[in-house]
Amino acid sequence: MSEGGERDENTIICRCEDISLADIRRLVERGYTTIDEIKRLSRTGMGPCQGKTCRLLLMQELARATGRPPGEVALGTFRPPTKPFKLGLLVGKEGETRDSQDTGGGEDDGGQGGAAR
Amino acid sequence: MSGGPKKYDAIVVGAGPAGLSAAAELGRAGARTLVLDRDTRPGGQLVKQTHKFFGSEKQRAGTRGVEIARLLREEVAALPAVEMWLNSTVLGFYSDRVITVERVKDAPGEERREWLEKVTAPVFVLATGAAERFLPFPNNDLPGIYGAGAAQTLMNVHGVRPGRRVVMVGAGNIGLIVSYQLLQAGVEVAAIVEAAPVIGGYLVHAAKVRRAGVPILTSHTVKEAHGREALEGVTVWRLDEKWQPVPGTEKYIAADVLCLATGLSPLAELLFQAGCQMAYVPELGGHVPVHGEDLETSVPGVFVAGDVSGVEEASAAMVEGHLAGLGAAARLGLVRDLAAVAAGWRAELASLRAGPSGEKIRRGLAKLAGQTAGMAASSPAGSPVSPASAPAASAPAAPPPATSAPKPGKPGRTLSPQLTSTGEPAASELESSLPPADRRRQGPYAVIECFQEIPCDPCHKACRTGAIGPFPDINLTPAYEAAHCNGCALCVAQCPGLACFVVDENYSPSEALLKLPYEFLPLPAAGHTVDLLDRTGALVGSGRVVRVVRSRSKLATPVVWVTVPSEKVGTVRNIRVPATKGGAAE
Amino acid sequence: MRIQDHPILDFSKGRKVRFWFEDRELEGYEGEPIAAALHAAGVRVLSESPVRHRPRGFFCAIGNCSSCLMTVDGRPNVRVCVEALHEGMRVQKQRGGRGDLA
Ligand SMILES: Cc1cc2nc3c(=O)[nH]c(=O)nc-3n(C[C@H](O)[C@H](O)[C@H](O)COP(=O)(O)OP(=O)(O)OC[C@H]3O[C@@H](n4cnc5c(N)ncnc54)[C@H](O)[C@@H]3O)c2cc1C
Ligand code: SF4
Ligand code: SF4
Repeated sequence: MSEGGERDENTIICRCEDISLADIRRLVERGYTTIDEIKRLSRTGMGPCQGKTCRLLLMQELARATGRPPGEVALGTFRPPTKPFKLGLLVGKEGETRDSQDTGGGEDDGGQGGAAR
Repeated sequence: MSGGPKKYDAIVVGAGPAGLSAAAELGRAGARTLVLDRDTRPGGQLVKQTHKFFGSEKQRAGTRGVEIARLLREEVAALPAVEMWLNSTVLGFYSDRVITVERVKDAPGEERREWLEKVTAPVFVLATGAAERFLPFPNNDLPGIYGAGAAQTLMNVHGVRPGRRVVMVGAGNIGLIVSYQLLQAGVEVAAIVEAAPVIGGYLVHAAKVRRAGVPILTSHTVKEAHGREALEGVTVWRLDEKWQPVPGTEKYIAADVLCLATGLSPLAELLFQAGCQMAYVPELGGHVPVHGEDLETSVPGVFVAGDVSGVEEASAAMVEGHLAGLGAAARLGLVRDLAAVAAGWRAELASLRAGPSGEKIRRGLAKLAGQTAGMAASSPAGSPVSPASAPAASAPAAPPPATSAPKPGKPGRTLSPQLTSTGEPAASELESSLPPADRRRQGPYAVIECFQEIPCDPCHKACRTGAIGPFPDINLTPAYEAAHCNGCALCVAQCPGLACFVVDENYSPSEALLKLPYEFLPLPAAGHTVDLLDRTGALVGSGRVVRVVRSRSKLATPVVWVTVPSEKVGTVRNIRVPATKGGAAE
Repeated sequence: MRIQDHPILDFSKGRKVRFWFEDRELEGYEGEPIAAALHAAGVRVLSESPVRHRPRGFFCAIGNCSSCLMTVDGRPNVRVCVEALHEGMRVQKQRGGRGDLA
């Protein structure tokens, strides 16, 4: 592996899902350049933190890769994480909340939550 | 879960300075208000701020953050209409204005309980604050790499040192202040690394860490972190004018903690969920809700305040909280003449943002104002006036200074590159802070090393002789007239920037007396010999402590009177208590 | 790592309690976050990352991120930076992911 490649492998963008800069760059090379696509393919930003730590890093990297200003990456394609479906489920289950809360499923849980919506 | 959601008149999410201020207004207006915070103690960021705040007296400038938090808490606790739920995290905001709260009860000796509760109200103030930003570099996830706020929580709230030797990334106010607090907690700060060519935080904060010997490496960034199981060291390198790293300039710094103080971004999840129109404004920290001067978002009845509406300062957060609380109370029909009641707060907000340090905020708000134009129709209470235009309009006509009164600092003064890149004032700047030579020989005088225009005025409030004149605009530098000064050093103890010193050149034939602020342990006592340090923390001699002036409260800044060889009185700005003898007082 | 004397702050602590980290018995103060007690005892590696098995410590200290998820008294995915310590707690590292999480 080249030195740059190894550096990117060890640069973590999303802690929850363990996604590195190299992972993101590979997706960009394959033509995925929107936040939604990357989220769906890699689960970046869909872990327990709901993108609180990684969202900006991802935006910056996509802006760099595509030559767009970060604001455009953001406003053009970014939809917020909400978890209406998961929460709906939760409300009935008083008392056993911890595990379900931490699934932190984004608006589209890689297909699972999405299907139920 | 039986029945519908619990109903309140108003719900405030977040009990930081913004949320508590909003709750105070709502409670005073008689609205049945619920305040929610996920933390176990209210106060938000303030509960870990041991330093004295800037701003004006109205926002309790000169008071330490922890104290402001206590005062705000007490104010809200005294209002019977306000109910507060702590340990209560808001998970979701639904279209029917119902919010879900995860509540936790975890008292010693009782069984831990977690449950969900639904609450609703016609008006909301969302004041969730901001989250720390992460930075991409190799091994950026090693244990020992912490957000600066996390390190601060650990040491100032829980009393645990984050490590032994820290590298701080970011020379904004947070990076500078947390570095200083690390030193106070007995942690070594190896360096502050800043990518920009200039220090972004207040230069008085930079001077405080500089004279404690901490280097500030501007135009530098982290190349990579090292360590197997946890952090062991950091390689930094220099950036050229185009912000590109320069190979060959790498420096390895051994450290067990790397603190990131590279900015905050608004915690806006609930706003997204509520359907508020959002805009990406880098100057305000990222995605912020589009809102007018009344702090109402595009969703009627949903107000915002504090960092979540645009990352700024606690002073602004409090004023915004008052405005949002008043706006929400007006929506409930509990405030009759909103425009009149809000005018004072609006003027104050404008004055806080008026100076050079508010430039970025003004730019961000101007961008946001572009977006509010389309909102006017949907928000009847809103008055989408461009907030950026307010500061100019509010610049007060300064009264012509009376002949012997101190002359206010001239606005728009340029600072030396040395000062802005290292935190050390240039010779010309130091010269300008000294009274005329004949006055210097006549008796003690104050030296005020505050050269940058920042929104701050406690020195004037502290000075009883009128030597430090009133600030016609809070952003000006202090106006000092040595003719009135008696060397009492009240300003030394009050200045939150620790930028005031008192010099008595006539103490003895060969020695001058220097009165300086000293907020470290151990505190020396009269008779002790201490090391004398210059503005970079370098050892320049030794002196004898003559007196230590301190109040009973630990919150006040002790003032140490120390003798200094006459020729060094312009150089010495700090002391160090030698580890072996002389120190260890109390 | 505990601060004994601070120039500005006084720390009011709960009573001293014993708890378990893996198979070590440690001491902390009741009611403080578990992560603070671990840190004070010199434990900085709190978990192993789910895919790449990298060591992780805490990062945000206010429950925003997922860097400090641990198993506490058998409950997985507890954010130890905000969870209060109690007498006799059993705190364990989570290895290779968040187990039951989607
Ligand atoms: C090191 C440092 C130094 C600073 N120095 C100064 C200074 O000298 N002067 C100055 O004016 N300002 C200063 N500031 C800035 C100031 O602290 C912040 O601007 C201010 O605290 C913002 O207030 P806020 O109420 O908007 O947010 P916060 O204080 O962050 O409060 C937000 C609250 O919301 C709660 N919350 C968030 N999400 C949820 C949820 N989903 N459910 C329930 N509760 C939630 C949080 O627990 C928190 O208590 C400093 C900040 C830092 C970090
Ligand atoms: S030393 Fe006393 S009189 Fe002189 S400027 Fe300071 S507060 Fe005023
Ligand atoms: S000298 Fe005055 S204006 Fe400057 S930091 Fe101190 S109190 Fe504030």
